[in-house]
Amino acid sequence: MRDLAADLRERLAAARLGGSQAARDKHTARGKLLVRDRVDRLLDPGSPFLELSPLAAYDMYGGGVASAGIVTGIGRVQGRECVVVANDATVKGGTYYPITVKKHLRAQTVAAENHLPCIYLVDSGGAFLPMQDEVFPDREHFGRIFFNQANLSAQQIPQIASVMGSCTAGGAYVPAMSDETVIVRNQGTIFLGGPPLVKAATGEVVTAEDLGGGDVHARTSGVVDHLAEDDAHALAIVRSIVDTLPMPGVSTGSTHTEPTEIEEPVEDPDGLYDVVPADTRTPYDVREVIRRIVDGSRFHEFKRLYAETLVCGFARIWGHQVGIVANNGILFSESALKGAHFIELCNQRGIPLVFLQNISGFMVGREYENKGIARDGAKLVTAVACSVVPKFTVVIGGSFGAGNYGMCGRAYDPRFLWMWPNARISVMGGEQAAAVLAEVRRPDDPVPVEEFKDKIREQYDEQGSPYYSTARLWDDGIIDPIDTRRVLGMGLAATAHVPVPAPSYGVFRM
Amino acid sequence: MFSKVLIANRGEIALRVIATCRRLGIDTVAIHTDLDKDAPHARAADEAVLVPSYLDGAAVLAAAASSAAQAIHPGYGFLSENTAFAQSVMAAGLTWVGPPVAAMEAMARKDAAREIAIAAGVPVVPEGTSGGYPVMVKAAAGGGGKGMRIVRSAADFEEAEASARREAISAFGDDTILVEKYVEHGRHIEVQVMADTHGNVLHLWERDCSTQRRHQKVLEEAPAPTITPAVRDLVTSAAVALAREVGYTNAGTVEFLLDADTDEAYFLEMNTRLQVEHPVTEAVTGLDLVELQLRVAAGESLPFTHEDVRCDGHAIEARIYAEDSFGGSLPQAGRADLVRWPVGARVDAALESGQLVSTAYDPMLGKVIVHAADREAARHALIAALDETAILGLTTNVGFLRALAASSEFRDATIDTAWLDTAQVTPPDVDAARTLAAWEVFLKDSTTRGPFASDGFRVGSAAAPILIQLDQDVVLTGDQPVDRPAAAVGPHRVEVIHRGQRFVFERPDPMVAHAAVAGDGTLLSPMPGTVLDVRVAEGDVVEEGQVLGVIEAMKMELSLKAPFAGTVTTVSAETGGQVALGETLFVVEASDE
Repeated sequence: MRDLAADLRERLAAARLGGSQAARDKHTARGKLLVRDRVDRLLDPGSPFLELSPLAAYDMYGGGVASAGIVTGIGRVQGRECVVVANDATVKGGTYYPITVKKHLRAQTVAAENHLPCIYLVDSGGAFLPMQDEVFPDREHFGRIFFNQANLSAQQIPQIASVMGSCTAGGAYVPAMSDETVIVRNQGTIFLGGPPLVKAATGEVVTAEDLGGGDVHARTSGVVDHLAEDDAHALAIVRSIVDTLPMPGVSTGSTHTEPTEIEEPVEDPDGLYDVVPADTRTPYDVREVIRRIVDGSRFHEFKRLYAETLVCGFARIWGHQVGIVANNGILFSESALKGAHFIELCNQRGIPLVFLQNISGFMVGREYENKGIARDGAKLVTAVACSVVPKFTVVIGGSFGAGNYGMCGRAYDPRFLWMWPNARISVMGGEQAAAVLAEVRRPDDPVPVEEFKDKIREQYDEQGSPYYSTARLWDDGIIDPIDTRRVLGMGLAATAHVPVPAPSYGVFRM
Repeated sequence: MFSKVLIANRGEIALRVIATCRRLGIDTVAIHTDLDKDAPHARAADEAVLVPSYLDGAAVLAAAASSAAQAIHPGYGFLSENTAFAQSVMAAGLTWVGPPVAAMEAMARKDAAREIAIAAGVPVVPEGTSGGYPVMVKAAAGGGGKGMRIVRSAADFEEAEASARREAISAFGDDTILVEKYVEHGRHIEVQVMADTHGNVLHLWERDCSTQRRHQKVLEEAPAPTITPAVRDLVTSAAVALAREVGYTNAGTVEFLLDADTDEAYFLEMNTRLQVEHPVTEAVTGLDLVELQLRVAAGESLPFTHEDVRCDGHAIEARIYAEDSFGGSLPQAGRADLVRWPVGARVDAALESGQLVSTAYDPMLGKVIVHAADREAARHALIAALDETAILGLTTNVGFLRALAASSEFRDATIDTAWLDTAQVTPPDVDAARTLAAWEVFLKDSTTRGPFASDGFRVGSAAAPILIQLDQDVVLTGDQPVDRPAAAVGPHRVEVIHRGQRFVFERPDPMVAHAAVAGDGTLLSPMPGTVLDVRVAEGDVVEEGQVLGVIEAMKMELSLKAPFAGTVTTVSAETGGQVALGETLFVVEASDE
């Protein structure tokens, strides 16, 4: 028996090496970590790893397809058990043989049956083309991977992908179908058709990086949410993402997380008086506000490089996990889409939402209207309206027009809505209202136009005041900015013990 | 004996005096500033009175009057050597727990003290340049090293004297200069004297405080480890003679400079108060110096003769300062999140966990005093006590003291008063500290229970290495450390105490700005709109976050900031110009690291 065990260990050791020495050298020479090193770095220090079927494809396909070119198993990340699915690019470029597909699907089954978050470390050339008839068309073939991702996500089983190499054709859907994604810059690529296929199809000559590299997807396409420097950074970001998931033992989406250890902000909240200008027109970075409100000034920012006029991210306030949605400029289509995606994530994870509202509105103009900014704005408004997690709104600046809706104004049932003393609220700015009304008034109106406009400006000025608002109970009070953290903490504590129902939404206009 | 004493001081010495008063059944009155209203000494005393400053003599007298204290103990520092204050204490009908004003005055000036020493037959440092070079040029009214110059040849003398004079007049308003023989290898030997008002003048043996840095004592011990019986006889009898000559009463210290090369001892000065390092004398004599001070001040006779004064074993004191000894000795301030003092040693301190240490007062946090049968045993006890000492939240000199106590130079007692000004003390190993910190991170989040125990289990294979990311990656091997350090593991950073030294390791936060986030330095228009302001020109060097220009659209103003430090290579924006979304406005090229 000992001999048999020794024999097994020998075979396992061989499989564990992955591809040939040459393939491994080539892989590491690019600064990439070997697949099992990636898994080790992803998991908590010392976490055990229950690797599944390490001898898959043993002696099949003429040999050399170690572990079927994919590592799957259960390990602990940030204190919770997760299913890890990691391609081994040193084995036939990480392509999917029939057994590879079977192993990937099996890991997803384990995740589904045990409600474990899925982490995909993607580095694969896609289907093994010579065997396309055994990997592509059938029910339990390649397409099932994405079918599973959609349905796992629907069951509130988090789907997280880190793109650390190629991710081509169907494989592109692994990150695209995930809840939250990371890509390694100058290393990971995502495209439905690679440069050779593009050239064949349209004649366009384009580099892999320009076609679907990290910068493209993090800044322009929005396919990924986080841009990493290298493998180690990407894995650290994945760990940070897992840290925003509900604590294990709490059934996902049913109630938000209990407060953990409470850290004061590193940035002195007193600085709010200095970083926020009294004039709402003067620019500043809303992150300066966030850093002075959240625990330890730590902010796990979502899609930092995409649609930069809306800042979204996870943080803790008095130990309560929150998702923060904060204006940093005008809302564009992309900002609305980013906001809607983020709000969905929060509902999925049962994390309360905090809106820091300072919005003059959605972008206007022919280009934007024609591209359908109203349609994307509607997605944001739908996501806000159908949110099931507690929402809190603090108007830290302007609250104008449709921006008020997308940023959870009073009509969108935030549990509490507070205003800062510098806040302004009205359907549009006084200046704009005066101009519009002067334009549409009766042509024979005898009042001189400036006098007419002044009256409108005065009216908007008076009615836009936070004191006018609070007098009429449009809010739950005007707060000193320095009390924002405390007040939000009390609001969160007050709403913490009511179960949150599963999210469901109306039709998103696509 | 008094029934109520006011302690005109703060910190450890105030607590020290309060402790003896309490033992003798004397009520205590503390004074404190607003900053110190919750300080340990203010809480420890029976009463506490607010004063604007510890140096405000009038307020201290008023506090004594309002609390009906009969005597004032000044501790050291602050008002302790202020003759005018001592005078006013007595004028107010209170007792000054200290020497007569005349003796204080006589000893306050170095030239006057020297004359008295000569009259008492006490050896003094040869004056002038007649004894050859090197010589020391120093201010007569000086102290703390100000106005001091070492001159090694006649050619340099004139210039050194002139500059010492200038420094003296600006620091002390008195440009009287003394010139005396400079001792290259000096040991600082001082004799504790105690005299009552009935003519009894005793010495309580000597102390060696040669381990100094920039004239600040670092380690102090009793008895002096290197002197011969003849030198001991000389300094102790000289100290007693001087005290008699000046009509001294109460506790005082006569300081000598011992030339290590010739064994000649010279009188330096007399300190007319209780010394910081008095506990080492208490340790070897078994006496309570504060008690003796109070008894003498109350008019009692010293209750023993010199034959009764023991000198048992060896004692060493280490002064704990809030300073970064290995980083330029800069004073440190901050919250002492955790304070752990050694159990087996005497600790005179007024620092507790959670206390805010400000730079408003002396940076001394406390003293650790050990006593053992001989010097080597005491030295080992000191190392152990400093290993046990842990202060988290701010950097202290404990690691430095520990390294010093463990050094062969201190072991061999070869450290002279100038040694620390040039010698390098080896700091504790940062790699060892990082490994300890990594273990603390691992142990905080790991589990030893159940099948998911943190042992790196891999199916059919050796366990995976345990990797902890700090400022550098650490791979943990072997068993966890037997002696866990004092540590604070936070989300941002890890603090550990290793051999007394505080080490802080940052934990990388993957979400903070990276080069990847900063992009390539091209700033595009975030909105279609109007350029309100252009604040840089091509070729300008900019800081990270510096505003390059401002765009206005839709009632909003957006500033474009440099993503990293560098040079502006392109400015396409023009004030007042219209720009489209995504138009390139500025390009910044990163500066080389």
